[in-house]
Formats: sequence, structure tokens, C-alpha cells
Amino acid sequence: MIVMEPVLEPSVPGEILLRASNLRAEYEAASGGIVAVDDVSLSIRDGEVLGVAGESGCGKSTLGAVLSLTARPPLYVLGGELEIAGRKLSFDPDHAPPRLWRGSVVSLLPQGAMNSISPTIRIGDFAVDIIRAHEPGVSRKEAIDRAAERLEQLGLPARALSSYPHQLSGGMKQRVVTVLSTLLNPRLLIADEPTSALDVSTQKVMIELLIELLDRRLVGSVIFVTHDLPVLRMIAHRIAIMYAGRIAEIGETEEIINRARHPYTGALLASVLVPEPQIRRRRITGISGAPPSLADPPPGCRFHPRCNLATDVCRTTQPPQVGDWHQYAACWWAQDHQGEAVVSYL
Amino acid sequence: MSFTRYLVRKLAWSAGALAVAVFLNFLLPRLIPGNPIDAIVSSLGRGGAEAGTLKAVKEAYTEAFGLDKSMVEQFFIYVNNLLHGDLGKSFTTYPQTVGDLIGEALPWTIALQLPAILIGWIVGNILGALAAYKSGWFDRGAFISSLFVSSVPYYCVAILLLYVFAVVFPVLPPGGGYSFGTTPEWTSAFAADALEHYWLPFLSLLVVFIGGQAVGMRSMAIYELGSDYVNYSRGMGLRDSKIVRYIFRNAMLPQITGLAISIATMVSGAVITEIVFSYPGVGTLLFNAISQTDYPVISGVTLILTVMVLAANFLVDIACGIIDPRIRAAGGVE
Repeated sequence: MIVMEPVLEPSVPGEILLRASNLRAEYEAASGGIVAVDDVSLSIRDGEVLGVAGESGCGKSTLGAVLSLTARPPLYVLGGELEIAGRKLSFDPDHAPPRLWRGSVVSLLPQGAMNSISPTIRIGDFAVDIIRAHEPGVSRKEAIDRAAERLEQLGLPARALSSYPHQLSGGMKQRVVTVLSTLLNPRLLIADEPTSALDVSTQKVMIELLIELLDRRLVGSVIFVTHDLPVLRMIAHRIAIMYAGRIAEIGETEEIINRARHPYTGALLASVLVPEPQIRRRRITGISGAPPSLADPPPGCRFHPRCNLATDVCRTTQPPQVGDWHQYAACWWAQDHQGEAVVSYL
Repeated sequence: MSFTRYLVRKLAWSAGALAVAVFLNFLLPRLIPGNPIDAIVSSLGRGGAEAGTLKAVKEAYTEAFGLDKSMVEQFFIYVNNLLHGDLGKSFTTYPQTVGDLIGEALPWTIALQLPAILIGWIVGNILGALAAYKSGWFDRGAFISSLFVSSVPYYCVAILLLYVFAVVFPVLPPGGGYSFGTTPEWTSAFAADALEHYWLPFLSLLVVFIGGQAVGMRSMAIYELGSDYVNYSRGMGLRDSKIVRYIFRNAMLPQITGLAISIATMVSGAVITEIVFSYPGVGTLLFNAISQTDYPVISGVTLILTVMVLAANFLVDIACGIIDPRIRAAGGVE
């Protein structure tokens, strides 16, 4: 097993690039709405990688769809605001977000690049379509040249452009899609589990590619959605842990890993098979119970039915955010134990 | 694999299939017990002909059809005749050649079916794609009516149209390719007469075909709409019109196969329509030949049918190979 060491400095200077506030999105179902992203706010600095982690069904991919402006029925964005690089967007279920934001302001790096390009067109044709969707005046040749130049700049073969999607290997396809996603130098890249289908050595190459894109300023910031905490430890400056549609805890990567303050974060880390010195000695405990149904979430703190540290207040009242925008835990326990890590209490 | 190699390979497959088809076409009618000439002679005998005449007739027929020779010899004569474009002579309308009979009937069938298939294919696919893309009430209306006309038996639509437009409101003639007493000729009066007879069978085919295509295209397009590449293309800011073009290209493949098969099996598809409307096409010819056990005509029609199916499949393979690179790569052995 490859032990993934942090490769980025834990903090980067930079102004706040993106501010998302009070995002709410729900899936329409026969039995009523299922709110998968419930009042989520977060901010990202320029040049920062924010990891978003959590169990399946916690709303992390839905958050990715909302931020990349690709929510589509049955997913509806009920409300919220997005402010990015000085531009503002208010979500409104009756109005589609502007098409030209997609790809150039925010861009999507999809999960499973395997089927992300129409199987009957060449990669180059798709690159031309992307560029011309935003700059209609660009000639075909010019667009191809730009895409080829970008591929070579990042160490990928330009001949990939004349291939059909099925002619590329899985790892190559994922990297080519990454280059296509960043072709228009988006300010924010939302990477939705880009490494989940890859083996560890290809994962490493992918992550190096993302870091190079950041270093060359070809993307502003990255939101990296995954359930793979070791990968996040390698690339993310900060990590947001989601639970049942809400952010449970957010903070600097090392703080989250070594000094988690939310019981859920602690439990999640305790269930990861990584030879971290402090985890190695412990038994893998896992988390008892299952995530709640988002159609009928429990009152108060959504984690309380599975939490060892839950008190009466947790069962009735939604917990406060303990900390500032940059680093906080939404937890009553953290409120009472300021500055303490939860690990020793679990 | 290069496109030329793909083509050569496809061509070889078609040639092989044709050879097998010709062989079966020769063999199968001859496996049916009973001598067709006995049937002709006995029907003459019922007419009161003398025994000596009957014997002479039988000998003449046997020689004319080459039935006095061995099977192997007959096969080579058959193949040799085929290579010269000779499909043999009809039993029941002797000495008319099968080639002439088919030549008379085929234009009627093609003129009836080809426009119905082509227009139905285009309209049906556009309707299906629109229904999938628009959804809502438009989708529901188009889908339900398409499903209805394409799932009721073929002849029901034909009989329904016949009943409404020829019996209840006698605005159109109930059958035939042209009025009694006229003969096919290149005059405007005959063309107008033929056109009047054309509408009902044409519409009955068109309605059914539009329905079938629309149902197929709609489900293909809905499937494609949910695919990853549609989501990603949207995420990269592509226009809807561009994305719909991607969807069309991918949803088109089975539809093209369907089109070619419809064109190829036009003759068999025509049988019921042509019988309902007594239309003078290949369908009626085949039907009559079967009821009169006229083997040369049956195998002539089935041979034409086989050739058409093979040719259509070959064209489909080429079209699919052009549209979908993965089929080319797989060498077309799907």
C-alpha cells in the first residue's frame, strides 16, 4: 500500500475566492422532497483545495452538482447564493443558472470519466465544441491547437485529440477529461470522485496533475469530493466532513485528521484503514447504525442517534457552529469542550 | 482496423450468406413431398382432357422445368439460370416467367412502401426525440398514441381506415391499385386514378410506421439524456442544440438498423396490407403463389427478399461503421 504523505503546504495565502451561502437542494420524489443539501455555507480561498468527505448518501455529490451548476431534475436547487471572483448568482428554482458560467467560472470534473464523452465523437471534436460554446468566433483549427498545446504543456500526448473515448485507457481518459475540464481556466473546479475508479499509482498521477494545474494557475481552487480520506490528506488544504446533508465539521486537513472535534469526524477516521501512527494501534471500530433517511431526518443534531456523546440538547436542538468560517464543528459537545479533540472521548 | 478491411470482411460475410440462401432456396421447395406437375396435370384432367394429351402435357412440363434430370444437375442449371437473371417460369401462369411477374409487381410494392417507410422513419424519429426532450404533456400524448398505433395488429389500422374512408364516408376507393377496366399506362388520367387508390394503403402503413419509430426513438433518447456525457457536456457549458446532436448520433444506431430491416422486409411487410387493399404488389403475388403452390414464383420472391435483406444489412453495417467507431474497431462481429 502506498502511504500518501501530504504534498502541499497546509495553508496557502490567498483571498476568499468563493463564498457559497445557505445552499439548499432537494430531490423530488413521489413521497415528497428529499433535502440532500440542507443550508450549507462554505468559503474557499484562491488556490485552495477543499476536500469534501462523508459516507454515501451524505449529500457530497449533490453539493458538487449544485456548485458546478449541473443540478437537473429530479434534483432542484431551492435557494442559496454563490459569489465567485466578484460575480454573484442567486439560485432560484424557476431560473436556470447562466450557461456560460459552466466550464469557465465553475467547471466539473466528473465521476467515472469512462462515459463522460459521447462515444461517437473524437476527443478533439469535443474540445472544439467546449471552446466554441464559450467563444463562438474561434476557428476549429485554432481550438484544436489550443487543446493540443494544453495537453502537451501538462505532459499528455496531443494525439489523444484524434482518438475516440474508447481508445484511451481508463487513467489516460481521466487525465484527458481533467484537461478538458480546465481548458477554459475555470476559477473553481469541482472534482467529483475523480480518483475513485483508479488504482493507487494512477491516483497519484491524477493528483499530481491537479496540483500542477493549481501551480500553473490554470484553475483557481478545487473542491475535491471523495470518500477516500487518505487521498484527501494528500491533496486537500482543508476538509469538510458532511453528514446527512449538512457540514458536520470543516477545518485544516491536519487538524481534522489529528484533532477532530466532531464525534462523527472522529468515528469516520476511526473506520479508515490507514497506517497512521495514532490509528494503527487501535481496533477499527466502524460506526454503529446507518445514516438517517434524508426524507425524514432526526430532529436536533442529525448524528445524535449514532453518537456516544449525545446529550438531551442534541436530540432536540440543532447544534451551533463552533469556530469561524474557516474551521468549525457543528456540535454541542464541541461547544462545551472548546479546544479539545474528540478522539480520547470516543 | 482500417475501414477497407472492415468493408471487405462485411462483403465476404454477405457473399457467404447469399450462397447458403441460394442453396436453401433451391432445396427447400424440392423437399416438399409431391410433384407439382402432377397437381397441374390432375387439375387439367378434371377439365376433361384425354389421357394421351395429359401424358404429353406432363412430359412437356417435366422437360420444361427440368425435373427429369438429377438434383445435382438441376442445381447447376438453377444456378446457371440465376447467373443469367432467369428465375424460371411460373407453374400456374405458364409460360410467363417469374422475372416478368415480379417485375410487374415490384414497382407497386416499392412505390407503396418506400415513401411510407422513409417518411414514417423521419417523422417518427423526430417525434420520438422531441417527446423525450420536451417531456410533459407533449410526451404523454405522442407516446400513448404512438404506442397504440404500433401495438394494435397491423391489419386493424388498415381495416379501420378502410372502414372509415371507404365504407362510412366513401371518399376513397376500397381496394386495387387502379380502377377496374383501366390498364397501367403512362398517362395523367391513370396516374390520378392510381394516386386515389394509393392513399389508404399508404396511410395505413405510414401511421403504423411513425408509431413504431417514435416509441423506439423516445426510449433511446431518454436513455441517452440520462447518460454521463450529457451531464458533462452541460457542465462544460455546451449549448442544448449541440448536446441534442450528440444524443441523436448515439440514439440513431438502432434506428438505422430498424430502417434497413424495414426496407429489406418490405415485401413480407406488404403482404397483409396488399391483401387487405387487393393491391397488385409482390405481397399479393406471393400470397397467390403460396395458395396455388407455384414453387418457382415462391422461390423467386423469397430469393429477391433474401438479396434485399442481405443488401440492407450490408448497408447498415457500413452506416453503423461510419457513425460508431467502436463497431469499426470490433470488426463488426457484434
